[in-house]
Amino acid sequence: MLKLQNNWLKYVAVAMVLMLVLGGCSIGTKEADGNATGTTTEGVGGKSSQGGELSYALATSPDTLDPHRSGLAVSVRVIRTLYDSLVVQLPDHTIGPWLATEWTVSPDAKSYTFKLRQDVKFQDGTPFNAEAVKYNFDRIINPETKAANAQALLHPYKSSEVIDEYTVKLNLETPSQAFLGNLTQALLGLVSPTAAKKDGEQFGKNPVGTGPFKFVKWDENAEIVVERNDDYKWAPAIVDNKGAAYLDKITFKIIPEEATRIGSVQSGQVHAAETVPPQNVASIKGDSNFQLLQVNTVGLPYTLFFNQRRAPWNDPKARQAVQLAVDVDSIVKTLYLGTYERAWSPLSPGILGYNESLENSIKPDVDKANQLLDELGWARGADGIREKDGKKLTIQYVDGSPNREKRNDIAAIVQQQLKPLGIDVKVEITKDVQTVVYINGDYDLYGNNQVNSDPNGLYWFYHTSAPNAAKLSISGSADPELDKLLEQGLVESDQGKRIAIYKTIQKNIIDKALILPIYVFPYTVAASNAVKDVKFDTLGYPLFNDVNLLK
Amino acid sequence: MGRSIITRLFTSLFVVLGSLILVFCILYLLPSDPVLMMIDPSSATPETIANLRHQLGLDRPFYIQFASYFNNIIHGDFGNSMMNSEPVLPKILKHFPATLMLTIASSIIAVIVGVLLGVLSAIHRNRWIDIVARIVGLFGISMPTFWTGILLILLFSIQLHWLPVMGSDGFKTLVLPAITLGIVGAGFIVRMVRNSMLEVIHEQFIVTLRSKGLSERAIMYQHALRNALIPAITMMGVLIGEMLAGAVVIETVFSRQGIGRIIADAIMAKDLPVVQGVVFFSAIIYIIVNLIVDISYTYIDPRVRRAH
Repeated sequence: MLKLQNNWLKYVAVAMVLMLVLGGCSIGTKEADGNATGTTTEGVGGKSSQGGELSYALATSPDTLDPHRSGLAVSVRVIRTLYDSLVVQLPDHTIGPWLATEWTVSPDAKSYTFKLRQDVKFQDGTPFNAEAVKYNFDRIINPETKAANAQALLHPYKSSEVIDEYTVKLNLETPSQAFLGNLTQALLGLVSPTAAKKDGEQFGKNPVGTGPFKFVKWDENAEIVVERNDDYKWAPAIVDNKGAAYLDKITFKIIPEEATRIGSVQSGQVHAAETVPPQNVASIKGDSNFQLLQVNTVGLPYTLFFNQRRAPWNDPKARQAVQLAVDVDSIVKTLYLGTYERAWSPLSPGILGYNESLENSIKPDVDKANQLLDELGWARGADGIREKDGKKLTIQYVDGSPNREKRNDIAAIVQQQLKPLGIDVKVEITKDVQTVVYINGDYDLYGNNQVNSDPNGLYWFYHTSAPNAAKLSISGSADPELDKLLEQGLVESDQGKRIAIYKTIQKNIIDKALILPIYVFPYTVAASNAVKDVKFDTLGYPLFNDVNLLK
Repeated sequence: MGRSIITRLFTSLFVVLGSLILVFCILYLLPSDPVLMMIDPSSATPETIANLRHQLGLDRPFYIQFASYFNNIIHGDFGNSMMNSEPVLPKILKHFPATLMLTIASSIIAVIVGVLLGVLSAIHRNRWIDIVARIVGLFGISMPTFWTGILLILLFSIQLHWLPVMGSDGFKTLVLPAITLGIVGAGFIVRMVRNSMLEVIHEQFIVTLRSKGLSERAIMYQHALRNALIPAITMMGVLIGEMLAGAVVIETVFSRQGIGRIIADAIMAKDLPVVQGVVFFSAIIYIIVNLIVDISYTYIDPRVRRAH
């Protein structure tokens, strides 16, 4: 009897392994001939067609569709379809017209006067004019609105003056070269004053803008539906189609589980899905039924910041030892299988002033690293961990949970790589980075990134006193030279000089080993071949104005 | 018998009160600050934080916070979501039907598969059907649902294109999640029914029935099964709890709507009123189901009826 049972168990084990293998194969080797992906068309190269409904899977649920109150990248992907901005950032980093046709800057650089388009209407019929612009920006700085990132982006905005119906003047507290660039961001998109006043707190569930798509419905945790705005004729220069969109509708499906999300594209249930895990990137690329769209996000790459408020990491030599000992190349290659680019600078490629001379500037050198720590007087103890004055050499490494983009795995590898150097890395994965990092400052190394349209994003991370003075910067920098450069970068109006300033800043940060830049996050979309002409703005957010579906 | 039901109702009320206190305390004692989760800490001033905390009543002493929470709950007010100010109870009620559908569908699968296999395996002990039943039992109890779910998706949706990968609209989208969750329940029931059938089969009254010349079939299905089902019904009460908990994972894997998804999101966002609301709501459902199970004994098992 026992023998019989064992045999049965063997068969079942074999059957289960087979099931696994079959399942695994289904991702890797789907034949190109007609499987049941109803939306996939064999012929490539058809021409743009009017109509159709695009289904696009998002990785998480947006928090709100009120641009002024949201702070999530995933929300921006929907928000960008509903709202337009005053100006647009062009691929060469210059600013182009959108809802504003032209603008002038006062000699003291403290006020911007915008001439507005006169043919624009919000989707609820409210006219778009200077009053509407004033309402929007005043709404953001009004504490009642509980604005999130928009408030930081709009800084140092003070007030608006309506000059005439289609001319508005924005006044700033202090000059800021980042201001115009920030106005291009979707989070400073323009909402209908009528709708925002009427719906108040619930505006985020009943959004109204001037964008190429109108809001239809939001089924929580299921889908958000938007439909074409037929009146649309004010598209920015970064898309080809200047009129109403080709698509009738876009359904944003919310599918948090990555295997399910990619599976929905492979089974033909949705046209496209965002954030493709590295292990699926190769199989999507290798499958002729699907395409992989990929664009690097712009701003600050995923970076490990030293907390310079804590010894010994306030010493550049100690930081340099870590910089030389961590093999970032092997981390990025191991975890992302060649699908992510390694970061070299505090800024990501593609942003104004990116310093490409930093690329390949640092090679791992464990001997040199050991030598630096020896010089500082950290001697190895019995357990191999270095000690000085009875204190062990440790790094409190904090990262936010959950394991977004395998960040927790980065922590584990850094821990392993620093052990031979005699550094004991304690990894703390916490959801509550607000308390641990921002309030208690209880970390030596902390990982973060930021999507940003302007290199001034560095200010918040490296300046001694962040503008709000409420919090200290993550890096805990207190470097007068760096402060001065960041201040100059904020106000320098000559673009050439500004680029030079930011190149110096980046070099300074790396030379002083203030950070370990790790990877540039690519926004990836797996899509059926039927989906054509998805474009991306300079920050890496998708634009659906030109999108059409092959029939 | 009427008195026993009233006693049970009273006990249940105490359990409800207990769970309410527990839910409130656990979340109150958590070390992190919900206010800081709501705002961007890089741009907020201490005054903004203090104002918001005051607005939400989080600066009041523990017992006052609890008293006002308790008072609101009694009046059907579960509070508003911290993320988007949406009232919690309507939100739960809106999403509960989807979870209820999933729970019912998987319970049906669990009961049919579980009882059938359990009885067959006890009757045909050590034959192939018994071994299949034991494997189903082991599989159901030990396989993590997200893993089973993804395997089913790979096979039935991506490979065979029979069923949709995700969604919560219509019967087709219910099949895979219900099977995934049903397997878990079936695992528990198979083991329970098999064991109690084996016990019953060896009891004196079965021997008596045999000696009276009843057919083996009649003995098994009319007499043995009826007795063996009693522990299985108790099991159902516990299983409903398992299913509600399982919904958290299943609804995420299959991208379904439901209260499991809501609580998963709320926990991530530290949206206290929503977490409290869903946990308390689930506790009430669990208590009601177990009350029904308790009462139903009196009808199924004459011994319980006679005891009162």
